[in-house]
Amino acid sequence: MNMNDSLPAAYFGKKGALFALALKTSLLTIVTLGIYRFWAKTRIRKYVWSSITVGEDALEYTGTGLEKFLGFLVAVVILAIYLGFVQLGLFFLGLHFIAEPQNQREALQQIAVFYISLFAVAPLIVFARYRARRYILARTRFRGIRFGMDKAAWGYVWRAIVHSLVTLLTLGLLLPRQTFNLEKYLTDHSHFGDQSFVQGGKWTALYPAVKHILFGAGLVLLSVVVSIAANALAGPGDRFSAGVIAAIVAAIGGYCWIIFGYVYYSVHSFRYLTAHKLLAGTVGFVALPRTGKVIGIYVTGLLIISVVAGFIFGVIGGVTAVFPMSISVSTAGYIVIAVLYLGALAMLGALSLVFITQPMIAHFVDTLAVRNPAGLDSVRQRAYDKGADAGGFADALDVGAAI
Amino acid sequence: MTEPSGTVEAAFFDGETAKRQVVGIAPATDRLALMILREDAAPLRWPFDRLRALRDQSDKGRLTLTVAADTEDEAPRDAARLVIRDKAAIDWILRTRPGLMRRDIRPGTIRSVALWLSAAAAAVVVMLYVILPALADYLADHLPVESEVAFGKSVMKQIEWMVGEDDRIDLRCTAPSGLDALDKMKTRLIRDRDIGYDLSLTVLDHEMVNAFAAPGGQIVIFRGLLDDAESADEVAAVLGHEIGHVAARDPTRLALRAAGSAGILSVVLGDITGGTVIAAAGDHLMQSAYTRDAEAAADDFALTLLNDARIDTAPMAGFFDRIATMTDQVPEYLSSHPLSADRARHARANAATHMSTEPILSAAEWQALQSICDGRARPNPPTSE
Repeated sequence: MNMNDSLPAAYFGKKGALFALALKTSLLTIVTLGIYRFWAKTRIRKYVWSSITVGEDALEYTGTGLEKFLGFLVAVVILAIYLGFVQLGLFFLGLHFIAEPQNQREALQQIAVFYISLFAVAPLIVFARYRARRYILARTRFRGIRFGMDKAAWGYVWRAIVHSLVTLLTLGLLLPRQTFNLEKYLTDHSHFGDQSFVQGGKWTALYPAVKHILFGAGLVLLSVVVSIAANALAGPGDRFSAGVIAAIVAAIGGYCWIIFGYVYYSVHSFRYLTAHKLLAGTVGFVALPRTGKVIGIYVTGLLIISVVAGFIFGVIGGVTAVFPMSISVSTAGYIVIAVLYLGALAMLGALSLVFITQPMIAHFVDTLAVRNPAGLDSVRQRAYDKGADAGGFADALDVGAAI
Repeated sequence: MTEPSGTVEAAFFDGETAKRQVVGIAPATDRLALMILREDAAPLRWPFDRLRALRDQSDKGRLTLTVAADTEDEAPRDAARLVIRDKAAIDWILRTRPGLMRRDIRPGTIRSVALWLSAAAAAVVVMLYVILPALADYLADHLPVESEVAFGKSVMKQIEWMVGEDDRIDLRCTAPSGLDALDKMKTRLIRDRDIGYDLSLTVLDHEMVNAFAAPGGQIVIFRGLLDDAESADEVAAVLGHEIGHVAARDPTRLALRAAGSAGILSVVLGDITGGTVIAAAGDHLMQSAYTRDAEAAADDFALTLLNDARIDTAPMAGFFDRIATMTDQVPEYLSSHPLSADRARHARANAATHMSTEPILSAAEWQALQSICDGRARPNPPTSE
């Protein structure tokens, strides 16, 4: 084995071709009242997967629209029954604990009873995410060999819930532990052919990646201290003292730094976690995405999309304003407006795919390399996985994956 | 372009190992198949009519082939792949093999789609229109009255805080003579009828022209309604309507139904573009259909109360006529209430058959009711110099 030998990954997708495909498939989705979305998603994934190469060979996506549609129908049957009974039952139980509220805070707490359905849905969303990932891996092939993932969604659900609670209770201090352990669970249950991925490394090594979030939080804290001090020192009349302005500047700077810090953390924890993954005990990976580039892609993409969105909605607003009142409130008027808006949303969806999602995938792929690729040659095929619900739960619960 | 002569180089993956094999490809001598010539194994024969290509690929300079085969996979395809990069060979295959992009669908697929489609539709319709309403009605009947009253008080507090600008101020109107008039109205309407709750009436000092029934027999009337009403009999009609909701346990039943059906429509719509808005609109339509029936029943209940108390229902018709100009702009199927014009017609028809009536309150009592909010401790208005 030679770990110095390395095979680079690359992304070859084109803006124009993907935009045409995305726009065409989302218009078909509107025309078919949403049913075509399963085929739309399939075709876009086929395009994106086929644009990713490692060395000379491209990935292949083998999922079908039909199995997604069927998986969705199964999910609807299960969820309609589950949600109806569980939500009604929880609400009924909640009613037994209501007392007359004595102040606004208690009243607000009691409004929470009305949102009790969240407790019914939250574990399902985590479940749906794992199953969607398992389905995607089961339908991805490289050199004709299937990827795959174990049937272990519920183990992921309770771990994800416990880790989130622990992170919340420690005010985010154990975030690296959550990131690492959940990624390790996912990685250790993933396979390429008959070989397994293993996540090595340790969770404490992710702490350097958190530093910018901490700096930002420190700055926000500082702004609070400064504004309290400024208020205490300020005489009557001078409302905008230098202290208050300094506090506002520090708060804005702190929040921006936290956002930057979060992206930095995502990028650098991804680098560490990827570098410590091993396939078949011999094949390694190197990932070198950059924080600046990731932020650049977001900002450029959002700028382009908001300019186009402003233009499109301006035109639609103009068109609807031209209608006489009697037409615009009639049923036909509602339908025309709804179709215009859906068309505009389809356009914006295609733009965000082309200007945010695809460049992001391209950046992460282009900065990835496989070490000791010779170790792949001995990997053998794995058995076909029915793929659970084919992402049906994720679709029904609108978990919201980009592609 | 003519048929390529000799063999062309391609990459082959046998579907069993991840090893990349360099192979030669050429048409078979009988012109019915593509031959794959491997270095250390027997040549493979892929019949032209079963040859399939991957669809929606980004690289036009690469053609990936496989063969249709009766496998258990997601699509009936063999696991082996042949990747061709030779431009002439790609052009020739694309030009001469029209079946290359065919989707092969297994028999029985349509049946299973139809089966699950009807199962999904049945599950949603039965849940929303049969099971959840029945279960909500059953649970509403089995909720202890104390819990229902507490729930109602919570709802009322929330409404009070929503309409009030300052949550520390009590909006309840308590002028004693007004309360007496209200009490008289209640007694004349209900008489010795059992409506299942101790009815509690509250007037809130707010200009909204509205009234509502909260769970547990609690009815709220806004001052705006008293200001707007042209007679005490109009207020009696509104009160009768709200008592109808109370007697039918509507507030509790409808809250339980809404809780159970929340999110089911958005599940049906799934990850569709603009789905959130459509789901909200659909939810509104569904809840409106539920409540329209309840509203019509409450109107009927009100007419019974008013007739039994020998109160004229023509003012009720007048009230609906006045609000029709505001409410009937919206088509009925979008509205939570029946059309006001229809409700007015209904009340007028009733009034025509019940002639011997007397007003619910005397002029003095009506005056007292309209001033029920006078003298309420209001926040000090800003002092102007």
